[in-house]
Amino acid sequence: MSEFDAIVVGGGPAGSSAAMRLASAGHNVLLVEKADPPGSKNVSGGVLWGNDLEAVIPDWQKTAPVERYVKAKGVGFLTKDSNIGLEFRSSLFDKNRAGHMVLRAKLDQWLVKKAKDMGAMVASGITVDRVAFDKGKAIGVEQDGDLITSDCVILAEGANPRVAIDSGLREPLNDKDVAIGVKEVIKLSEKTVNERFNLRDKEGFAGEYVLGFLPDQVEAGGFLYTNKETISAGVVISMKHLRENDRTYSFDIIEQFLEHPAIAPLVDGGSVEEYSAHMVQEGGIERVPKLFGNGYMIAGDAAGFSFSNGLVLQGMNYAIASGIAAADTLIEAKKGNGVSEESLAGYRKRLLDSYVLKDLYNFRGIDEVTWGKLPHRAIPNALEHIMKGLFIEQGVPKKHLYQLMTEALGESGIRTSDAVLEGYRMLRRM
Amino acid sequence: MIELALHLVVLIKVVPDGKEVFVDPVTFTLNRSMATNIINPADENALEAALQIKDQTDAKVTVMTMAPPFAEPFLMECMSRGADEAVLISDRAVAGSDTYPTSLTVAAAIKKMGDVDIVFAGEKTSDSSTGHVGPGVAEFIGAELASYSRKVTYENGYVTAERELENGIEEVRIPTPAVVTILTDSNDPRRATLRKKIDAMKRGIITWSLADINIPADWVGLRSSPTVVKKMLPFPRKDRKGEKIEKEKIPELIDNLVKSGVIRVEAE
Repeated sequence: MSEFDAIVVGGGPAGSSAAMRLASAGHNVLLVEKADPPGSKNVSGGVLWGNDLEAVIPDWQKTAPVERYVKAKGVGFLTKDSNIGLEFRSSLFDKNRAGHMVLRAKLDQWLVKKAKDMGAMVASGITVDRVAFDKGKAIGVEQDGDLITSDCVILAEGANPRVAIDSGLREPLNDKDVAIGVKEVIKLSEKTVNERFNLRDKEGFAGEYVLGFLPDQVEAGGFLYTNKETISAGVVISMKHLRENDRTYSFDIIEQFLEHPAIAPLVDGGSVEEYSAHMVQEGGIERVPKLFGNGYMIAGDAAGFSFSNGLVLQGMNYAIASGIAAADTLIEAKKGNGVSEESLAGYRKRLLDSYVLKDLYNFRGIDEVTWGKLPHRAIPNALEHIMKGLFIEQGVPKKHLYQLMTEALGESGIRTSDAVLEGYRMLRRM
Repeated sequence: MIELALHLVVLIKVVPDGKEVFVDPVTFTLNRSMATNIINPADENALEAALQIKDQTDAKVTVMTMAPPFAEPFLMECMSRGADEAVLISDRAVAGSDTYPTSLTVAAAIKKMGDVDIVFAGEKTSDSSTGHVGPGVAEFIGAELASYSRKVTYENGYVTAERELENGIEEVRIPTPAVVTILTDSNDPRRATLRKKIDAMKRGIITWSLADINIPADWVGLRSSPTVVKKMLPFPRKDRKGEKIEKEKIPELIDNLVKSGVIRVEAE
């Protein structure tokens, strides 16, 4: 007889959602989190698209510690001098305020407390060593030489899935699988944030940028999210480029982003409250490990459930949905013939039926087009050329848009035929 | 001969993290509002010293504090590291107590336990630095005292403690019951384990009120505390030179540091 029905490793959105679901169904669940308080080791940006949270916390919209809701979403291509951007600012966002800027230190602590209130036992400040197996079945976790038993282990340990790797449940991460995220939380004031981003009350802006101006062909993306009285700003740099380029430092790239002429005025005068760096999962179905086995399931970032197509960068919603799916699978298995590889197979099926695996399948290979010269150099340069031709009066005869675009392709730095082909692939995959 | 299990009691205090406390330059009071709470650093060493004896001998470790209920997670943390039980003395009447009624109250709780062999306490707390409570408890329970100790061992009814004094180390041997106060950083506190944390959560914390330890409410609190804090002053601010050194000037910097006698270069 096991000590717990389930041990959940990781107190982020995936783990807490699983623990809440299990505990409220009357199961005896232990949630183990390495950070104390929970959330204090998290670096995520970020925006919470919390629709799935409703299943475990029906009133989350009113009670969750969120900063602002997404009222405007921006995408920008940055060159040395310019930001060529697109902004979607809409009252359509007001009706269903599903997207919220969050500070994870607050959110994770709240989620874990909710899990505790619903009856989960919470052990924070503890790092699990590995999943314990007996005759091929996961029987609990090992920590500092002790075995804690459970019918099922749910691994929800985040972007750096050390327990899953050390337990042989997934491959170690390759450079290609991860990027490095560096983030600053910059303190301004509520009023200043409102003024600079053209916001009112609880409205927020979430922007994603391509940093097309970096030296040494380094590829990185930037992000800017407004919190109540702070701004979360940061960069995501491909691990491959960091590794290949001795002169590239993550702290240097975040500085270049924040000093860009289009970004600097937004963060001007703010004081840095937090500085952090962490691995970011690149996402993609190719990187999803075996999701379950006899006595265990993997959820959230640990399972590679994050999504990035260059326009959006999401993880928390996939985490919550997969955590709940894992819990529901276990609840069903316990009602039936008990926990086995067969009974946990329902986990994968649930994910296939939901957007979690559907998105990852539909957007497979996306990383091949979100990283690369076309989006990171050619598009920013070409766009700048077109905009310059259209909007900066130079006292010379005007050109047609088509002419500008052809020229722009020439300016873009890659061969026209490649650009057309790459561009086509990019549109298809996005 | 069967030796009965030792009973070790560790006194802890929850304090604001010293790095986050400052003297308000206007009111001259301690501003703790920005600070997070921690276990007083020396008390962590006191717990570790007790646990090291438990590693060697059959012993029960009780951790105890006098505080409002916010201290519970910190007692839990001590149990998660290996303490067997935790006692919280919590009573509205003790609010404002200085070290005198505190020592008196803690001593009463130890007397109630009846079988205590060694009491461990940190040498001092980081938020008031009096170092009174350990010796005060020794006085009130009539035990021997070894203060400022860095290493403690137990054998056959005697405690041996290495005391760190200004001019050297003094080794003392005192009979139990004994009180030992432990120096900050004198050992490396162990980490909590999951097994112990689960057990601690299942066991919970014992809470005693003043009535439970037979202390009248008018013996404690602000009015029964002889200490009067007249005022508090911040340290005068020392402005540093704040020179920024470019990479190329590092050799020059080293030269200057050598010249001014701050560092010394030794031949390999």
